[in-house]
Amino acid sequence: MALDEREVQREMDAAAHKLRKEKKRTYGIGLLKGLAVTLRHLFKHNTVIEYPDVKQDLPSRTRGVIALKEENCTVCMLCARECPDWCIYIDSHKETLPPKRAGGRPRKRNVLDRFAIDYALCMYCGICVEVCPYDALFWSREFEYAEYDIRELTHEKEKLSDWMATVLPPPALEEGALLPGQPEPPAPAAPSGDGAAAVPAGDTGAAEMKPASAARPATQTASAAEVRPEQAADAPKAPSAVQEPAGSEHEQAPAPAATSATQVEEGQPPTKAETEAPAGSAAATEPEAQTRAVRESGDSPSATARGEATGEIETPAPAAVPTPTEDPDEVYETVLKDQLEAGSSPQVAEARAKVARVKAERGVRRAPTPIETEKKVPSAPVTGHFTEPVPGGAPAAEEPKPEQGPVEPTDEEKGPDG
Amino acid sequence: MPEFIQNFELTAWWILAIKLIVVLTVVPVGALAGGYALHKVMAHLQHRLGPMYAGGFHGWAQTLADGIKFVLKEDIIPEKADKPVFKYAPAIIFIPILLLYLVIPVDRRLIVQDLDVGLFYLLAVSSIPAIGILMAGWSSANKYALIGALRSAAQLIAYELPIVLSAATVAMLAGTLSVVGIVEAQDWPFLFWPPGIGLIAFIIFFAGSVAEMNLPPFDMPVAESEIITGAFTEYSGMRFIFGYFFAETAHMIAFSGLAVTFFLGGYRPIVPWEPLTVIPGIVWFMLKLFVMVFLYLWVRPTFPRLREDQLQKFAWKGLIPGSLGLILVAGAWILYAPEWLWH
Amino acid sequence: MTQIRTPEDVAREVAEGGLATQQMILNVGPQHPATHGVFRLLATIDGEILAEAEPVIGYMHRGYEKLVEARDYRQITNLVSRMDWLSGFNNELPLAMALETLMEIEVPPRAQWLRVVMLEMNRILNHLMFFASFGAELGAITPTFYAFREREDIQLAMESATGGRMHFGFMRPGGLKEDVPRGFIAQALKSVRQVIARLDQYEDLLVGNEIFKQRTVDVGVLSREQVMSYGVSGPIARGSGVSDDVRKDEPYLVYDRFDFNVPIGHSGDCFDRFWVLVHEVVESARIVEQAIEGLPAGPVLGKVPRVIQAPEGEVYVRAENPLGELGYYLASDGDRRPYRLKIRTPSFNNVSVLPEVLRGTFVADMIAILGSFFFVLGDIDR
Repeated sequence: MALDEREVQREMDAAAHKLRKEKKRTYGIGLLKGLAVTLRHLFKHNTVIEYPDVKQDLPSRTRGVIALKEENCTVCMLCARECPDWCIYIDSHKETLPPKRAGGRPRKRNVLDRFAIDYALCMYCGICVEVCPYDALFWSREFEYAEYDIRELTHEKEKLSDWMATVLPPPALEEGALLPGQPEPPAPAAPSGDGAAAVPAGDTGAAEMKPASAARPATQTASAAEVRPEQAADAPKAPSAVQEPAGSEHEQAPAPAATSATQVEEGQPPTKAETEAPAGSAAATEPEAQTRAVRESGDSPSATARGEATGEIETPAPAAVPTPTEDPDEVYETVLKDQLEAGSSPQVAEARAKVARVKAERGVRRAPTPIETEKKVPSAPVTGHFTEPVPGGAPAAEEPKPEQGPVEPTDEEKGPDG
Repeated sequence: MPEFIQNFELTAWWILAIKLIVVLTVVPVGALAGGYALHKVMAHLQHRLGPMYAGGFHGWAQTLADGIKFVLKEDIIPEKADKPVFKYAPAIIFIPILLLYLVIPVDRRLIVQDLDVGLFYLLAVSSIPAIGILMAGWSSANKYALIGALRSAAQLIAYELPIVLSAATVAMLAGTLSVVGIVEAQDWPFLFWPPGIGLIAFIIFFAGSVAEMNLPPFDMPVAESEIITGAFTEYSGMRFIFGYFFAETAHMIAFSGLAVTFFLGGYRPIVPWEPLTVIPGIVWFMLKLFVMVFLYLWVRPTFPRLREDQLQKFAWKGLIPGSLGLILVAGAWILYAPEWLWH
Repeated sequence: MTQIRTPEDVAREVAEGGLATQQMILNVGPQHPATHGVFRLLATIDGEILAEAEPVIGYMHRGYEKLVEARDYRQITNLVSRMDWLSGFNNELPLAMALETLMEIEVPPRAQWLRVVMLEMNRILNHLMFFASFGAELGAITPTFYAFREREDIQLAMESATGGRMHFGFMRPGGLKEDVPRGFIAQALKSVRQVIARLDQYEDLLVGNEIFKQRTVDVGVLSREQVMSYGVSGPIARGSGVSDDVRKDEPYLVYDRFDFNVPIGHSGDCFDRFWVLVHEVVESARIVEQAIEGLPAGPVLGKVPRVIQAPEGEVYVRAENPLGELGYYLASDGDRRPYRLKIRTPSFNNVSVLPEVLRGTFVADMIAILGSFFFVLGDIDR
């Protein structure tokens, strides 16, 4: 907006007029209005969350505490070096392993002795999580770890590993987000972003939509490629992901219809869809698949983007169009109940219920996955909640591939994986 | 009614002793309950829940726990303080408030002592706490405390007058200074008859009592964001709670009782309907008391506080001329209103 | 304004038979509820009138400008968000813009629009905070709780995207850290609309209240000349009728695409400053709605090298922080760290005019004036 002198003057006059009006004497009416406001609140439903009894459902990106996945740590010291206030303490020793083959050279390996974070110093910036190339650090939304003594705030790797159980899968991205493997859309309003993030689509590996948490490494990879596209481009080995091939039948639909269809399918009431319509319609100018794509975003983006951790998994994207079969909320409730009965901790039960809900929303038929069949939460290392990283290898055999609605996950998994 | 209640106003020493014990237990319990009401009502007005834990059910024991905590805390006396004055100031604030309860009629016969000059007694006693505040502020050797004490003294002078004058209006209309007599002289609809006079007197009394008790919006003597609870800046532990928290709630309940007695018909049913007289007067009194306490608590968090000079202006230019005029109107009403208008 | 008595006046009064009074020095702070932190006001008072008031700052000096010389740019982004802790996202922006200018990074449109959404949400957060604290300082504690209820909703929306409630750390040179999660836009719109819907109640509670007007109208008048000579900016300057808003004057990001007004006061008293603050909430909410409406699709991070290393050069970038003009003068010698980062924070300049405004006011007015000067201690001392 151009700075027009007269317009400014007019605005000033209007504002001054309004001010004069508000300064006018009102003889007690204002007092009564104030009393009315407070009285109305007396009878309103209270929104206070009674904290220790009721806990707020914090977003999965919440930077509560940093959890360590000890198996992934290679003692590269990047986190300790990048930390702005040097609150990460790492000790390690070298271990010599016998050679793989007879006559080979003995291999050396770093073994983590101590990994401690001094939460009295930590400023919760998340740089360590971001720089970790091996996906060993995660944000958890846990926040109840106060201590009576400041020295006890230095938490060792056992405690940090325990927190891994509370790490949630990253959330799906908002409509209009650029997903890896997609060509950048022509920018409608502003100058284009210089073709950034055009990740070659042929590079797709680790592709299949696994159940969110079971497929953590793969989704991590995806998010990495998508959030740091330029890095993904720099590192050609970086595996990116194929988005869920949903909604192809909407591709030619006019924008508003497509939008509302999307909204309704997400289980939101139509009114909500209308309020969101502007945003949706903007997004609808993009290829529909993009707006529909349900994609995980990682909280340790740079991790696998460097192509150091994950190898390529050659999996073609499954083509089936999933349709929702169950009510997501119902699924959520059921799973939550089951999990609690099975003796899982509330956080874990909630996380698993959420996974189930996400799956239900995507129309992925739920198969008994390792997470959900597993009854107890082990402390550390956590299995099941996150699969092992797949450095240059295939994913763990028990990972299911539920897009095709298998009942026996193991077999289905092996099939497409080849 | 049992006979011993009928003769409750007997002045045998043991009856007096029982009465005093009752007052001495009722006042602290009432103050605790008032504190709890303060927590809860203010919280809900502010869209909060207030205490929810102590005692289990909606935190009913919160004020009790607070009281115990304060009693157990260290009593810190500043080195430069004027120690005897500093020590006794809370007593001088709290005891007159206890004395107020002596003449509030909870029922027709449930009163410690129905003095013939009950109104005078009330008004005289109710202004003593300000002296205690002045003592506390002066002896603390603290600048903020001094400012608070001086503000309190200035406020006392400005607000005692409207209270006295509005109460005088009531006494004129009732034709007696006895507190029970005032209640008996009132007729339905208590506050609204004679038209205008009662209501205006009530509003003046209300504003004056808010200022006298140092409650918002007239809480400049203790304004915590300006002078950090003024005279009580240096107090801690038991002296703090008796001088400030306890005194505040006890004072508030006492003044609510006075307002009920003077303007809302005391222990009498709210409508002159025969079946309602079955309900004992104490129930009516408590009901009206709750309404008054709620009024004080409602105003308290809603309004910002005035400035000291604005408050003085409000008192000297608004309330005092208003109450003086009211006395004239009431006099005219007594002299010239026809008999049938009286009831 | 009340007449301040000089020592000569007092001497004359004593000679005329008056009471020998003397001025008293009142230390307001460093620990005082009205100063929002460790800020000290050395007040010389004559009765209840302030003869002189001298702000003493520096209790919270953390040496930011030196500190950043030993940190790389990624770490600095997280550091500067803690300068003015109420508007972390707004603090991160000019630094990112400075780096983008030096490194010639193109910011993708989606990132720009999302930045605007979050900047304005952060502005609402900040303004609601001062709305709350101003009421509380004048003795009305209820607005605090209402404002914090709205803040909670907005903060939750921001947290779902950034993971933080105050220090978002979401800005990156070249765009944003990652895209917002699904549901963020609906949540943001809902929370912002709720603020607008409830703002009327708040105005009834404070702005329309007679006692509030008595306390604020014609109290602590800051003239246009004082604004100009002290470099005051933000809502305080606009309360005095100075139309100064970087978003309008030198539109950065995509602010020139939005339709919004800059509320401007008239007389420069506490009431006008507060009025401007409240109405900026409305304008910010309008911007959020427009930005969400026009949100383009695409990436949120431009082409950024792996190691952020500004080439040799100097740049000054300014932006409209909720409290005023925030500027970074970045001098780089081509290293991963800045050679020098001069920070121009709004609160520092704004409180420097306090002695002028406070002279001759009442102690109670001092509280109102301090409250209406909307400063954050970390922003003054940094």
